[in-house]
Amino acid sequence: MSPEHFSALWLSVKVSVVATALNAVIGIPLAYVMARRRFWGRAAVDVLVTLPLVLPPTVTGYYLIVLLGRRGVLGAPLYAATGWSVAFTWYAAVIAATVMALPLLVRTARVAIESVDQNLERAAFTLGRAEWRTALEVTLPLARNGILAGLVLAFARALGEFGATLMLAGNIPGKTQTLPLSIYTAVQTGEAGQAMTLVAMLTLLSCVVVVASARLGARAL
Amino acid sequence: MSQQLDVRLVKRLPGFTLDVTWSAGEGVAALFGPSGAGKTLTLQCLSGLLRPDAGRVVVGDRVLFDAAAGINVPPQQRGLGYVFQGYALFPHLTVADNIAFGLRGRPRAEAARRTAEVIERMSLGGLEDRRPHEISGGQRQRVGLGRALAPDPAFLLLDEPLSALDVGLRQSLREELAGILSDWHVAAVLVTHDFQEAYRLGDQIVVYEAGQVIQAAPRSELLWRPASERVAGILGIRNVLRGSVVKASPDRIQLRWRGQILETVNSPLRSYLPEPDSPLAFFIRPEYVRLIRKDRGPADPVHHMNLLSGEIVREADFGTTYALYVRLDNPGRPAQGDYDLEVEVPRLVYEILEIGRDRRWQLSMHRGSIQILPGSTGDESAS
Repeated sequence: MSPEHFSALWLSVKVSVVATALNAVIGIPLAYVMARRRFWGRAAVDVLVTLPLVLPPTVTGYYLIVLLGRRGVLGAPLYAATGWSVAFTWYAAVIAATVMALPLLVRTARVAIESVDQNLERAAFTLGRAEWRTALEVTLPLARNGILAGLVLAFARALGEFGATLMLAGNIPGKTQTLPLSIYTAVQTGEAGQAMTLVAMLTLLSCVVVVASARLGARAL
Repeated sequence: MSQQLDVRLVKRLPGFTLDVTWSAGEGVAALFGPSGAGKTLTLQCLSGLLRPDAGRVVVGDRVLFDAAAGINVPPQQRGLGYVFQGYALFPHLTVADNIAFGLRGRPRAEAARRTAEVIERMSLGGLEDRRPHEISGGQRQRVGLGRALAPDPAFLLLDEPLSALDVGLRQSLREELAGILSDWHVAAVLVTHDFQEAYRLGDQIVVYEAGQVIQAAPRSELLWRPASERVAGILGIRNVLRGSVVKASPDRIQLRWRGQILETVNSPLRSYLPEPDSPLAFFIRPEYVRLIRKDRGPADPVHHMNLLSGEIVREADFGTTYALYVRLDNPGRPAQGDYDLEVEVPRLVYEILEIGRDRRWQLSMHRGSIQILPGSTGDESAS
């Protein structure tokens, strides 16, 4: 395995793990709120979260550039203040993967949370538990299988992310070139053998994820 | 220990309005009525899970809800125990953790002591580490009750605790529930659509219909003195009949029905003296209509009050009892479709008197068995 391949593999794993962690932090509370609360703008949040699932990834990537690029809505003031931009760094790959994976986690976790018997939550309320404690002690533990399944889906999506990553993070070998981008580059430059190796690596990694998630699911039961 | 619960609630939902006022004290108050009458809605408003539009809920001297004063104590701080339909035990927690759930916030040692005490009193020893799906229906009921009782609530709210069970288990769990409620001396509000359950478990019964209370009374009073034809209808009382007043005194009411005079008892307590000729509803329970045996000589009007005669037009076999549908010989349209009176006889009597072959009978009704329904004004639709 060449150092370049190894760095692509390592970057992909790193980006996917961080993106999945971010997904957990943002996505699980979001899924809970979407499942259990009625608030103004709920439908808009739903559309916004789901959009990356249906838009072409390059379009999502384009929006991310508009938002976070050096001349972007948020990116420009950040660049003016610090001289740093998130674009073309591995953080950009994390952000792209996070945004692309979020709808998968939120939708799966939301269904799981909605299927928890609300009388259990009401029982917890009458036994003195505040809503957030009830969520932590009753709702989320009971929705665990669905949430774990959502996290696995999110990880897999992050691992395979291509379009949005290319738009926001670019394709810089050793810096932002993840496995899928590396495969694309190898095919483009006619390095069929290298492409084959990378494809095999990604396939193997995916198999590991599938097996691990099956084990997790079995244990959760 | 004994606290008063005063409830006044208004809750408007699309196509349904709950508007009730009642009080409960010591013992068990059963909210009884058909499904969709607003009983569970009432419990949810009492527990704070749902916010009423108007009204006031007071336990002892604690105001839990007062729309006018803007008070709405959250369910966490109401100090009421709620037993849900199907018990709503936490499936991911053990029996002990379920029971201890409401004791969070107390010193660890005290919570452990209380949990052990509840487990002991509920005869759940040895099951502490089991999950709810690993124990029997009866044990689940005890865990549900124990979990609600552990924090020592001022009132226990029970939402159709037995309705999800099949008949056999239902009866034994009803008896067990009755035992636990009296053992723990806990004041409770129980929701049920089963009158037998309401009567067995409730000291007081509050009858709900379409979002309103149509009678609230001690259980025996409700059974023998329903306030109106509507209550009688909801109680499933048969032979609810309509006649007109001939003469009324504080002790007696004489009424005319099917062209015949019936002697009935009035109660001086309720000071009900209807005008002569005013319409009057009454009922007689099918098991209180007597068949007059033919082998004991002719019927004697002194001995046999309110004497009638007629023919059995239909019968229904209920196993241990028979229902006989009797059409009187009196001219005119029968009072209840094709018959005037439903008469219930034990199977043994049916066999001894050979009712299967002999269809013509004389009947009598003791004046004390005929119950007047004073709430009826005659303008309500016939049941």
